[in-house]
Amino acid sequence: MAEMMKGNIAIAEAAVRAGVRLYAGYPITPSSEIMEYLSWRLPEVGGAFVQAESELAGINMVYGGSSCGVRVLTASSGPGISLKQEGISVLSDEELPALVINVVRYGNGLGTLFSSQCDYLRETRGGGNGDYRCIVLCPSSIQEAVDMVSTAYELGEKYRVVVVMMTEGALGQMMEPVTLPEFQEPKRNYWGFDGKYSYKKIGIFDRDSKKEAVELNKKYAEIKANEQRWEEEGIEDADYVFVAYGVPGRSTLGAIRELRAEGHKVGLIRPITAWPFPEKAFAHINKNVKGIITVEANATGQLVDDAALFTKKVLRADIPVYALPFVYGVPPIREIKAKFAQILAGEIKEVY
Amino acid sequence: MKEMVFAGSGGQGVLTCGLIMSDIAVSKGMNATWSPSYGSAMRGGTANCTIKYGDDYIYNPQQEQPDVLLAMNEESFRMFMPIVAPGGICVISDMVTCDTNIRDDVKVVKIPCMQIADEIGNPKGANIIMTGAIIHLVKDFTKEEAIEAMNNMFAKKGKAKFAESNTKALTAGYDAVND
Repeated sequence: MAEMMKGNIAIAEAAVRAGVRLYAGYPITPSSEIMEYLSWRLPEVGGAFVQAESELAGINMVYGGSSCGVRVLTASSGPGISLKQEGISVLSDEELPALVINVVRYGNGLGTLFSSQCDYLRETRGGGNGDYRCIVLCPSSIQEAVDMVSTAYELGEKYRVVVVMMTEGALGQMMEPVTLPEFQEPKRNYWGFDGKYSYKKIGIFDRDSKKEAVELNKKYAEIKANEQRWEEEGIEDADYVFVAYGVPGRSTLGAIRELRAEGHKVGLIRPITAWPFPEKAFAHINKNVKGIITVEANATGQLVDDAALFTKKVLRADIPVYALPFVYGVPPIREIKAKFAQILAGEIKEVY
Repeated sequence: MKEMVFAGSGGQGVLTCGLIMSDIAVSKGMNATWSPSYGSAMRGGTANCTIKYGDDYIYNPQQEQPDVLLAMNEESFRMFMPIVAPGGICVISDMVTCDTNIRDDVKVVKIPCMQIADEIGNPKGANIIMTGAIIHLVKDFTKEEAIEAMNNMFAKKGKAKFAESNTKALTAGYDAVND
């Protein structure tokens, strides 16, 4: 029988089972249970847990662990992830994989503790300096998150990129029945330090950035071609297609099923990878669709940018793209439906 | 699908009430979600959690319109009574002494859980007493199923030694509801 588990705890245990043997980080609500759990759990399996003196120190310890070929993890929330950006950029430059979990909370600066999706653009564009991307996974249930942890490491190691799991305060704090994955034997990746200086050297003055750019683009093109993940429902004949991910994504699924039952032709694309964005799903949308609608837990509408870009790229038509930004929390089904009625009535204007 | 909001002041055990309720549902093979208020809301003010359970997938795990509200104090009653679904039930403790007759479409049931807790010699058991009362009122689970799931849950947390007093508290709450 599946057991009730808290999101953060289930994800932390899934990391142990995926063979993670180093966690380094600094606590912040609503992510802290991940490190609290690992503080006693990792030593039990022979792993290392460090409560670092800062986020910057934590991500650099993760960098060290990945350099040694070990599966490494850090977790934080909005402002803490901001502080880790230097390290994430360095990991990306060195092509060292790591899993970074952002249990997103709302706000600029220190913000608030409310569950949110306000870090969408930062996570999907590579939040640090430079020109890199992280694979971004955005689960909508605890089971999906738990099943995704092992995939996150496989993707990171296959493409040598940082993987960000973008959960939300709501998912980290809630409980639902979970079946945990099997234990994997921890492995030491082949690129780990071998004491022979055989690893590639990257210096500021002796690198060919133009050549590297070709390789980088090749790698990112491959990720875009092979690793888009999403769920879709009812988009082939839909008049309106909703796009929503994470916990708002599952709330929106409830809304579209109710709207369908009431006779509205609506569908949903729920991205499971926010980067690469699931543009392939857009090819399945009804060619006569009247509008694309994002449901998001942020103030300004961020997902709507990607929804509009891929509407243009894939559908090649001037289709209105609307945003329903609920700021924080999980949009209630009845409010999504009420906003949809406002769109139909012309009371909410398209963003693009 | 049923939605319940359990609310009270921090320390009154409403989050644990919710855990018991969701565990009972899961032990019956249902889906369930438990979503707490967290962070700043826990320092003073009210604590609350939303529980949903049913046979189908639960879309939004957070508050929409609760079928059942447990209000352990007046602040919680005032905060959540307006969102209870029409035809819903509001269970209040003996700490709620304000006028509760504010909605015709919600049935208010007062369970003197503090008094009962004193009577059964379990002053910390008020939340379990309320859980028993709610089990009786919603009729989705039998008293025996509830007791078994509750005791299993606490045993997993290493608190098996409270099984007897918890069983007594849940039974007292269950019996406090008149059909």
